[in-house]
Amino acid sequence: MVALFGLIVGFGLYNGASRVKAWEATLAAASRDQDERLEELRERSDQVDSGELAPGLYNHPRSPSYVGGVRGQRFAMAPPGPLAVMAIGQSDLHPQYYKINNRSSQSFLDDDEIENPINLLTGRFDLGFVIVYLFPLLILALSHDLISAEREQGTLAMVLSQSVRARALVVGKALARLGLAVALVVVPSIVGALAAGVDPLRADAAVRLPLWIGVVVAYAAFWFALAVAVNALGRSSATNAVILVGCWMVLVIVAPALLNIVVTALHPMPSRVELIQATREASTAASREGSNLLARFYEDHPDLAPAEIDLNPADFWIKVQASQESIDQSIAPVLARYDAQLAHQQAMVDRLGFLSPAIVAQEALNDLAGAGMARRKLFLEQVDAYHKEWRAFFVPRVMRREMLSRSDLDNLPTFTFREEDAGAVARRVGLALLGLGIPTAVVGVAGLWGFRRVRIAG
Amino acid sequence: MLEAIGLSKTYNEAVALEPLDLRIEPGEVFCLLGANGAGKTTTINLFLNFIDPTAGVARVNGMDVTSHPLETKAFLAYIPEQVMLYQNLTGLENLEYLAALSGKDRHPRARLREFLVDAGLPAEAVDRRVSTYSKGMRQKVGIAVAMAKEASALLLDEPTSGLDPQASNEFSSLLKRMSDAGVAVLMATHDLFRAKESGTRVGFMKRGRLVQTLRAADIGHSELEQLYLSHMRD
Repeated sequence: MVALFGLIVGFGLYNGASRVKAWEATLAAASRDQDERLEELRERSDQVDSGELAPGLYNHPRSPSYVGGVRGQRFAMAPPGPLAVMAIGQSDLHPQYYKINNRSSQSFLDDDEIENPINLLTGRFDLGFVIVYLFPLLILALSHDLISAEREQGTLAMVLSQSVRARALVVGKALARLGLAVALVVVPSIVGALAAGVDPLRADAAVRLPLWIGVVVAYAAFWFALAVAVNALGRSSATNAVILVGCWMVLVIVAPALLNIVVTALHPMPSRVELIQATREASTAASREGSNLLARFYEDHPDLAPAEIDLNPADFWIKVQASQESIDQSIAPVLARYDAQLAHQQAMVDRLGFLSPAIVAQEALNDLAGAGMARRKLFLEQVDAYHKEWRAFFVPRVMRREMLSRSDLDNLPTFTFREEDAGAVARRVGLALLGLGIPTAVVGVAGLWGFRRVRIAG
Repeated sequence: MLEAIGLSKTYNEAVALEPLDLRIEPGEVFCLLGANGAGKTTTINLFLNFIDPTAGVARVNGMDVTSHPLETKAFLAYIPEQVMLYQNLTGLENLEYLAALSGKDRHPRARLREFLVDAGLPAEAVDRRVSTYSKGMRQKVGIAVAMAKEASALLLDEPTSGLDPQASNEFSSLLKRMSDAGVAVLMATHDLFRAKESGTRVGFMKRGRLVQTLRAADIGHSELEQLYLSHMRD
């Protein structure tokens, strides 16, 4: 059984490592792509300068619309989390990069990557899954008969006729097995993670790895405490096993599903169709209004109006840019509703998650690995800021009908992901440790109280 | 050494043990006779603090077993009808574990080995797994535990039932050696012959009550059987 579990841990790590590898390969390809495109723009720009090349109407290598919205688009990329091999979580449901342009954010946020939907639905078989779902089963196999087996074998009478308290016996046996179970998971996990390239000396990992071990120990301690409490009932080993597997079903399988249902029932997401509809209507309206819109735009932004006031309605790029702004404004309320509901949902999960140690452990492990919601949110905020910066760079030039200078091509805004502050992660995980420690203490104390008197005979 | 004062146990109206007064001095072997369910095992379990008394006290070496469970168990050794040990461990390892639980000064392994051989376990069996042991061999490990913890009282629950005559005889001589060394023995048994042979006193129990006690030396084998049967009849 021990060897089997070692294999399972190894398989989970292997899946995590291959996911990280694929992720890094994707980002490397994206990097290469944006660099190649930029290089090509520079070459063409030089050729235009030297007169070798006559630029086309819509693909001038210095046109801010063409560079900012088509050829020079750059990626905002989130690298894998610091301990990404140890938990994938839902990070595979979200894109790891966005191709930023100078139009509405809706034009790039939904460009999802293609992935096998079965994988997305069931989640990956990663180390986080092994720990949250399978590890408790190993623990229950080791501990469901902690005392009942001794009663059934008859050794309990021999042991308790020595000068030893039943409680000391139970605690000693439980701790010894806890040590074994934790070692079974932690040792191969750490070895595997180091082999997969986690650097324990990086300040970040030096905080996250010990916390990760802490979460595993606290989660294991909860299940051992539960086994002790069930053993205190004095039933047979078989009955204990049934009760404990029932607890596992409720806490690990049913509770998260129930929480999901409750959360979506209380704070339902607005329909996706509604958003698409709003976007369509806005763009139809925008193109219908055409030149009016453009005039209104220059009214709103007089500083951007070109010096020679001969508005040419056929100026395609300017019209596109102006209509984007209008679309953004009209769908803003729909998007705000999305964000508000999502925030409500997350807040509720954060609160009710404490009902099941499995949920607490899962969130904490994802968080530590860098696959949690908090890091995702941080990334989206950085993407948003970068998008604003990108637009601030290009839109004024588009509207003034300016061309980019040669040096502008070397100074396009770039995106660098800022990793989450380890202190913030530590605070959230500290709360999770409390969320695991309190039920463990309650269940454990109840169990030990039950062991003040032990039934000796079967 | 062992003392019961008004000791009784009732399970939801059903009386398992009526108030019992009993004193067993060091070196004495007290044999409890009686049918199944007469309260013999209940008495032993009360001395071991395995169950709470309904009334009265059980004392070991002057200490109440309910208020001093650990201290009193340090004086006690218990040998049930079936001495059950950890099957995957050897006799020596079982002894080491049980002796260590008592928390007294640890004996070196060589000394533990001596206890086992002294208790009559064949030297070649000491390092064999207990799963290969006979009932008598397991009992000898139990005796070795008593020796290792230097118990001053032995509680025996039908130790000789199911032993062949030779093993039963060996067991009796071990018992004799221990009582000669000053150990107080309380033995529940169905074996009238052994009770007469090794006991200093015998007591008859019936439906939770100790109905008669007498000195073993004062009665012959056949008289003892007659007396037993007459007690059981009415």
